[in-house]
Amino acid sequence: MPPRQRQALEFVLDNLVWFMLLVVLGIFSAVIPNYFQAGIFANIVEQSSVLGVMSIGLALVIIAGHMDLSVESVAALSAMVTSMLFASSGIGLGIVLTPGWLVVPVSLGAGLLVGGVIGALNGFLVIKVKMNAFIVTLASFIWVRGLVVALSGGRSAQNLADEVRWLGIQRVLGIPLTAYIAILCFVGFSFTLAKTRFGRHLLMIGGNQAAAFRAGIKVDKVLMIAFVLSGAIAALAGWLLAIRTSGATANLGSGMLFNAFAAVVIGGVSLKGGVGSLPGVYAGVLLLSAINTAINLMGLPAHYTQVIHGLLVLAAVLLDTLKQTIRKQLA
Amino acid sequence: MNTLLKSTLLLLASGAALLSPAYAQDKGTVYYMVPTLIDEFQTGSVSALEMFLEQVGYDLTTLNADNKTDLQQSQMNDVIALAPKAIILAAVDFNALAPSVDAARAAGIPVVQFDRQISSTVSDFTSVAGTIEIGYVAAAEVERLLTEKNGAVAGKVLQVLGDPGDPYTLDIQKGFEEKMAAFPEVTIISQPAMMWEASNAGTIVSDQLLANPDIDIVFGHAAHLSLAAVAALESAGKQPGEVYVMSSNGAPVALELIRDGWMQVEVEQPLYAQAAAVAMFMDKIVAKEPIEPGEYDVLGLASTVTVEDWGPTIKIPGAAITPENVDNPAFWGNGQPPADPITPVP
Repeated sequence: MPPRQRQALEFVLDNLVWFMLLVVLGIFSAVIPNYFQAGIFANIVEQSSVLGVMSIGLALVIIAGHMDLSVESVAALSAMVTSMLFASSGIGLGIVLTPGWLVVPVSLGAGLLVGGVIGALNGFLVIKVKMNAFIVTLASFIWVRGLVVALSGGRSAQNLADEVRWLGIQRVLGIPLTAYIAILCFVGFSFTLAKTRFGRHLLMIGGNQAAAFRAGIKVDKVLMIAFVLSGAIAALAGWLLAIRTSGATANLGSGMLFNAFAAVVIGGVSLKGGVGSLPGVYAGVLLLSAINTAINLMGLPAHYTQVIHGLLVLAAVLLDTLKQTIRKQLA
Repeated sequence: MNTLLKSTLLLLASGAALLSPAYAQDKGTVYYMVPTLIDEFQTGSVSALEMFLEQVGYDLTTLNADNKTDLQQSQMNDVIALAPKAIILAAVDFNALAPSVDAARAAGIPVVQFDRQISSTVSDFTSVAGTIEIGYVAAAEVERLLTEKNGAVAGKVLQVLGDPGDPYTLDIQKGFEEKMAAFPEVTIISQPAMMWEASNAGTIVSDQLLANPDIDIVFGHAAHLSLAAVAALESAGKQPGEVYVMSSNGAPVALELIRDGWMQVEVEQPLYAQAAAVAMFMDKIVAKEPIEPGEYDVLGLASTVTVEDWGPTIKIPGAAITPENVDNPAFWGNGQPPADPITPVP
């Protein structure tokens, strides 16, 4: 194959998920009435904010060769803690701070603290106690959700403080500020993963932990940071979720874990670790949101939507597998 | 090794600290099989049943099935082995639990259906508001609201269902659409909020507002879905009352939304009366005495007991909560349980 053609093919393969997104958006715009409009695209970006942020933390741990199944429940706990403290109705305590804007950093700090602590506990059990990450984080997935139900008593907290809600209502170029927070996270962590020593170490550990250790990398320290980051980022996703729904219910965020996994895999992150980039994950999240929006607009009978959602995700993953096959043939 | 041992002991100690013994009262223990505890109606039902049963001398122990049919079946098997005075069942799946009901009754344990009616087998008592009937009340309210808004029963309704695997939401949909079929000028768009998750409902509302900007009413099948629906309306720049919002079950969150002007109607499930009815008849149920059909006063609500193929059934009418009557303390969402103790039916 001529070098130019090969280069072009590799470019397409490297960015396949973005091309898939463009194709899917094109097809949906042509086929589904009312899909092609700026408002719908803004909705897709907005809907991607919570799932996108959650996927970042998950991707970091997977790239490091481990697993974090607790992200969904951590996000729910963060949303519940934020709402219980700063929502004024239901079980919300309605704490008022002076000046009012302080509620933004304080609520965010409370959420991040909760997530960071759970991430540290996960990391401790995996790294120090040498327990399997899948089992440890599965247990956290269960007990943290249980804690949400126990804390809330099954009730909801609503009417989040206006200063925080402002982030979900205020729009720039038709997109709420919360979506920009998610985009900033992707930009920041993409840079961290690609350009910093921590990012390179994470990729090396995920690729071959023993080799990374022999090369002098402080494997335990880097992994612990990855777990803490995963918890804190999940908590940030929960904070955004609470803003989006102006409060929290005990089942808030249910089912997001599976979508986060789908986005990470579609985005090209290898479940075996050591391979992946965050821009691809963001494209995966946008792709899932585009599909979800299409289903919402198609007016399908309720029973079939899950089937279609699953099949479309499967199609996206199959295309990704095809990409891997072509790449192997090129190598 | 030390770290492993310490961590294990810590985890075991934490688990043990959460366990507490159950104390039986005079007349014995009744088990309540609640389908889930992530819904304010269900958590409210636990405290209401606890309160009313205590008033008539029973202790209540609750088991949560987390919306899992197989888990509730296992719980039924376990409880049958404990031989309680009675089992109150709010089934996760209306039909799948029928064999468990038969097994309990065969073991001599009376079974009461609470809130979710099982008609495929016989139970000792059923206390329901009727999910299909909730759909009927909602349809009547949509008829009223559309006439008020558009001058005729014409317009567009976005119906946000719960999880499509839950018969509860499907029954409400059935009742609602059955009545709305009489109004061909009303377009109903139905979308499910998977797993009853609130942000899914918000996403549906955001998308549909763009595809169908002329939506008149958003009807969510649970109050917590309306919370996210209202947040989506607010984010879309809508003002309270611009798009009507209604939902069902009567949870506190809905009453707050009515007071804030965002919601126009909440169809209440009469939680207190449903629970009180169970307690009022519990002595008869435990003694396996016949329950006479007729009219009964349950917390001031005229309720009818009929003897159906599936056993004696009390139906308590649901009410439409509007801005005019939202502060009525009889609504369970206002969190003011009846002060006077109930009296068992002689």
